[in-house]
Amino acid sequence: MNPRPEPNRKRVLVVDDAATVRMYHRQILEGAGFAVDEAINGIEGLEKALTAPYDLYLVDINMPKQDGYDFLRDLRRREIPQAPAMMISTEAEPHDRRLAYEAGANFYLTKPIKPEELLSHCRLLLGLGGAA
Amino acid sequence: MPFVKPHTPVAPEHDERARPRDLAGLRAILNAPDPMARRWAARDLASHPEAVTDLIARLEVESDPAVREALLTSLTEIGDAAAVAGLVRCLRSQEAALRNEAIEAMKNLPEAVAPVMTDLLRDPDPDVRILAVNVLESLRHPEVENWLIAVVRDDAHVNVCAAAVDLLGEVGSTAALEPLEALKRRFPDEPYIAFAADLALKRVREA
Repeated sequence: MNPRPEPNRKRVLVVDDAATVRMYHRQILEGAGFAVDEAINGIEGLEKALTAPYDLYLVDINMPKQDGYDFLRDLRRREIPQAPAMMISTEAEPHDRRLAYEAGANFYLTKPIKPEELLSHCRLLLGLGGAA
Repeated sequence: MPFVKPHTPVAPEHDERARPRDLAGLRAILNAPDPMARRWAARDLASHPEAVTDLIARLEVESDPAVREALLTSLTEIGDAAAVAGLVRCLRSQEAALRNEAIEAMKNLPEAVAPVMTDLLRDPDPDVRILAVNVLESLRHPEVENWLIAVVRDDAHVNVCAAAVDLLGEVGSTAALEPLEALKRRFPDEPYIAFAADLALKRVREA
């Protein structure tokens, strides 16, 4: 991977209950110049978003306490600056994609995730252009 | 002319509580319009193991969070093979919240879940196998490590292995080292597997 610094340090919130997944995303995104924060479920994610809204949200679906769909629905209802959200999940059925978009996702990525794929879609959603 | 609020004499929850509390009565109240009545029925049905099918059926359509919680609590209290079978059915739901609730309930039933775990981990649907691995996350059972080792050694689906390797790093012993190394060789083109397996290997060696 060849990290490319991003302008203005875009802030990304990774919402996933799996610590290893959060670390993996953090490593990739920080290596490319993003500022990364983490939440272990939708409830914590929403608290963080309400405190200081992010430029991009990466959201898992299956999480205890509050799943990714409910997190996005809650987020979209709030009167805060809205930002794009990418749902990242092992669920690959059309039904899951439809639910994600209905909940407020802007893109749906199926695991396993390759670093260049993640960065490319993050940049596109942030209006920074595609892959390097 | 002053507005006079009409008096509406209704007390639905008391009416529902006044209905028979035997099995037949509770089954009927479980589908009552009043959520408070449904919640009480769900709670009282914990003493009726034969009502597991009714509790699961209600759980699959219930939208009130308090009633859902009561349904899950009763299923966990019953905690027999039928309750686990019903929760397994919920793992196949298209509703993420229901799947997650089933996982959390199953985590509290290690002895009842253990007999079905091997079959769950061999389910034809990889999404169900991933959810089964999620159940293992805090299942207090001596076979957890062996189940996870079997997954990383044999499962052909990368995402099922990815879920298992995360957990194996937390609960694995030296018995997990070779299976983790072998996993990296099985998926040489998957960066996440390499990342997660290396992390798990480090954790196991340092434990």
